[in-house]
Amino acid sequence: MTAAITEPRPALPGRDAYRDELTRIAEEDPWVVCLEADLGGKNHPFQRSHPDRFFNLGIAEGAMVDMAAGLAVGGYRPFLSTFAPFAALRAAESLKLTLGYLNAGVTVVAPYAGVSGAWFGTTHHCLEDLAVLRSVPGVTIAAPYGEAEMRAVVRAAARSGKPHYIRTGRNAAYTSLPGQDGELPLVAWDSTGTSGEPCLVSVGEEGTRLALEARERHPELAHAHLVYLDHDNLTRVAAELAGSHSRFVVVEEHRREGGVAEALALLMPRCEVVGVNAGHSWPAEGGDHHEVLARLGFDLPAVLSAAAELRGPDH
Amino acid sequence: MTVLTDVLEPVDGALAAERTLLAGRALEARRLVVDMAASPRGCHLGGSLSVLDILIAALHRASSGDGTEVVLSKGHAAAGLYAALYVNGTLPENPAPLYGMAGHPYTGHPGPKVPGVRFPTGSLGHGVPYAAGWAMSRRLGRKPGLGIAVTGDGELQEGLVWETCQVAAAQRLGNFVLVVDRNGGQNDGMVADVSPLPRLAERFAAFGFETAEVDGHDLTALTEALSGDRSGATRPLAVVADTVKGKGVPAVEGKAASHYVTIDAARAAKWKRAIR
Repeated sequence: MTAAITEPRPALPGRDAYRDELTRIAEEDPWVVCLEADLGGKNHPFQRSHPDRFFNLGIAEGAMVDMAAGLAVGGYRPFLSTFAPFAALRAAESLKLTLGYLNAGVTVVAPYAGVSGAWFGTTHHCLEDLAVLRSVPGVTIAAPYGEAEMRAVVRAAARSGKPHYIRTGRNAAYTSLPGQDGELPLVAWDSTGTSGEPCLVSVGEEGTRLALEARERHPELAHAHLVYLDHDNLTRVAAELAGSHSRFVVVEEHRREGGVAEALALLMPRCEVVGVNAGHSWPAEGGDHHEVLARLGFDLPAVLSAAAELRGPDH
Repeated sequence: MTVLTDVLEPVDGALAAERTLLAGRALEARRLVVDMAASPRGCHLGGSLSVLDILIAALHRASSGDGTEVVLSKGHAAAGLYAALYVNGTLPENPAPLYGMAGHPYTGHPGPKVPGVRFPTGSLGHGVPYAAGWAMSRRLGRKPGLGIAVTGDGELQEGLVWETCQVAAAQRLGNFVLVVDRNGGQNDGMVADVSPLPRLAERFAAFGFETAEVDGHDLTALTEALSGDRSGATRPLAVVADTVKGKGVPAVEGKAASHYVTIDAARAAKWKRAIR
């Protein structure tokens, strides 16, 4: 008999990791319910395992968020998912009222964040969600990188019963950072860098990928990875960052306005903070995810250039 | 003082007692709403008075303790809601002197800081899915009770209402009830002039709702429409209640201008005396 060859399973993309982890959580927690707005795909694992608690409400994002409020007030812990542009922008008023003012224990998981929709075009991109959600008090915002971090964030959201907005990409899978299985640190230090060197601050999937690649080219750079991006968490993050470095390059797949770089610049007034981001233009052309990002000026050369500028002409 | 037995038809037993109780609450609540119109803030008078009997009947159903939740989706009628909550014993204090005042929760659109209010409404449309979500939670837990959304007819111009109707019918939410306070008015004038809603009951029926059309000031009809045990129902219910904007205050009845009113104490006293 031939022994079976077992290979490690490939990492799951963020939205698949979310679906799988929530399905597992629901085994133990009968109060968890899963809502989709016709974008959950066929063979949703939650639907297979817990059909009585899975609801595809159809293409009705605002109604879905508000009905989740009703379910939460009725004692349930709703997790709902739709693409980031439809969650954060189309249903923005519902998020303000449900997640913010009502402080309902609803978690919104938003794939297709940034321009991960790539050739799907401008309607399916969302470079504004952090700005919108960060301005709503009481919402925990997470942008996990890799499967392990997504699973940890979903578990934390289910445990807390507090409103969460979790952004992720489309189908790309990212290798998890080490040490992401337990409780996530406020700042995941990939490297504290050589003394006096700038610190890369990575946000989200592509931001973290680029920061890791930049560190490979320049191991002397520090690299701090963030997962929680709301004002309360960033306030604590800023204290930790400013305690160890004074110059930062924040790498995030978001517009300049309302992003994490802008927030950290205000929270660390004695530090130098520059941002590498998707800027101020419209991603209106085709291409794959990386090609669309490059057209927006968000790529490795931009990160390296920003770090070099902070280091000054002597380097 | 109005003697209720003078204005009510005689009815038997418990029903007569209930009708007398609710009619008394409605009269008292109308006077409170006028008091709020005479506050420094003024209030959405016309819609608060038109929706009052609906709220009195719906809150009466909810007070049975079966898990029924009433959501005033047309949140601008907050004065009517506060008055109705006070006369049915939910509010611990008379809201009229506190309406719109600093340090008190009785804002111009209601929020969950008000006893008896679970959801923030006033941004039109949202109360409908809130109530539908509540109904869903009751059904999921195999518990009785309705999710009742009280809307205005102008409010039905919001897409979120119909989005939710689509979902509620698809989910076979039989314990979800949508009551339309059809007073015919909205902020800038009459619904018929701004964006009319012809064949309204037929619209709900086309969505898969059971429908009923009632006199929105007939407490017996309203109570009956909202009294059913719908735990086995598979179609949501729409109750189209015909009402009069400003109902109960002859000086403003049926007038679009009664939408938002600020009056002085003397006029308030006169209007309250006219309430029968």
